[in-house]
Amino acid sequence: MNLISNYFNTSIWTIVSFILVIFLILIPLASFLSYSFFTVDGTDIIREFSLFNFKEFFVDEIYIRTFVRTIFLAIIVMTCCIILGYPVAFFLARYAGRYKYAILLMLIIPLFMSYIIKIYMMRSILGYSGLINKVLAMLGLIEKPLEFFLWNQNSVIITLVIILLPLIIIPTFTSLDKIPKNIIEASFDLGCKPFQAFKYIIFPISFPGLVVGSIFVFILALGDFVTPQLVGGTSGFTYGKIIYSNFGMAFNWPFGAALASVLLFVSVIIILLTNYLTKRLNR
Amino acid sequence: MTRSENFTKYILAGLTGLIVAALYAPIVLTIFYSFYKSRKGKIDWSSFSYEPYTKLIFERQILESLMNSIYVGIVTVICSVIIGFYFANYYHTSKSKMKELLQFIIFLPFLLPPIITGLSLLIFFREINLPRSLNTVVIGHTIFVLAIVFKIILNKLETLKPSLMESAYDLGASKWQAFYYVLLPNIKLSLIIAGLLAFTISLDETLITLFLIGNDTTWPIKLWAKMRVGFSKQVNASVTLILILTSLLVLLIASIISRSEKKIMY
Repeated sequence: MNLISNYFNTSIWTIVSFILVIFLILIPLASFLSYSFFTVDGTDIIREFSLFNFKEFFVDEIYIRTFVRTIFLAIIVMTCCIILGYPVAFFLARYAGRYKYAILLMLIIPLFMSYIIKIYMMRSILGYSGLINKVLAMLGLIEKPLEFFLWNQNSVIITLVIILLPLIIIPTFTSLDKIPKNIIEASFDLGCKPFQAFKYIIFPISFPGLVVGSIFVFILALGDFVTPQLVGGTSGFTYGKIIYSNFGMAFNWPFGAALASVLLFVSVIIILLTNYLTKRLNR
Repeated sequence: MTRSENFTKYILAGLTGLIVAALYAPIVLTIFYSFYKSRKGKIDWSSFSYEPYTKLIFERQILESLMNSIYVGIVTVICSVIIGFYFANYYHTSKSKMKELLQFIIFLPFLLPPIITGLSLLIFFREINLPRSLNTVVIGHTIFVLAIVFKIILNKLETLKPSLMESAYDLGASKWQAFYYVLLPNIKLSLIIAGLLAFTISLDETLITLFLIGNDTTWPIKLWAKMRVGFSKQVNASVTLILILTSLLVLLIASIISRSEKKIMY
């Protein structure tokens, strides 16, 4: 093995790759963090250390309120994904037999299909004269079209769940699929009821996979700014959308950077916490 | 199987079916609207035509954005596979503690919300006075997919026996020969899988691209811009074509993976 390492490690390309990582990942992150301490004057950026942006964040309660609301939104999306995704992963791993990989593939493909299109089409599914309302009206269940689906928080939640659901199914399935059948049979032989087998054997083994998927869903839902923009209307705006608007129309990059650094801080804490928890569970 | 277990099985199968339907509903609807017209929410069943597909040839803007996306995808694949390979090789062969830190850094853009990666690169490019263009988009995509590419190649390298390369050297192969005739054929499939995956992700990447795009547009950004005025049937047609392309890519990846798994058994 030394021979390969001698060749590749001393190669100029390895050094170049290292420099690339530092230049393309670490320095951008650092420059973004340092921007959050700058301020603006008109269109000029004043490069002096100041905590003005963070003061603004804590004083004007709309930012904190939106942030907390977005966290709740992400938690709701994550919970919906767990409630819908876990049974599907369970079904695939335990009952789908030789079709399990085919169905899994069917669930993975939409993940790579146009993100914008999915959001756009959700509008014509959820909308006033959309698919859901039409089907419900056709079945005679409603007389007037329902309105709580579009241009609010509900539509953002539904759309995000549809987009992010495969992300929770894949890792959960992988960890459920690893459970040998004879372990479960052994538990039945030892007098376990099906629910007990699930509670004490299946669920604990699948838990790390579920956590990984949940964190992906949570973080992506937390930072999304396109979905709320397109289906959220006026009441459905999220923290990500506020950050994005500071880089677009409002053109207050330092303030946008400060808001984003709060998001970064929370995301990093969540990632580290999950890392720690899964390591402890694996022990 | 007990009766109650049978019951759970059918309930779960039903739920799975519903979820597959929900995931595909937006996609099926797009394909549908590329063939049929709807007026005031009512579908005109007699309006079937594939004219939008032939008219697509005249939509310069859409075609240009498609070409841009394909360009960005290809360059992203080349960059990410080369860099990913060197990182994976370094991680696999090095004994230093730095490598854990390195892995953590590579995974950052993948784990953090895309908005953070996008705007940190945006600020960085402005600081070094690099104007935004398709090339800045390539950089953004490359560091985003790097973690996946790195992991796929690393997984493959870890299955190889150290004796493989050693025997190549013992038999008198030069460094380059050992790489080209021994290592490369063994990891070829993982490089292809990683590249295809990187291309598929790059083709649809929106959140990072929105920050890094200059005057040219990639295909998802074009869709985002068109959305305000509503989609023409030609847009729906272009979406359908891309959907077919991505599905084929994913199926190709899956078939390569399952075939290479069978190979290992021999």
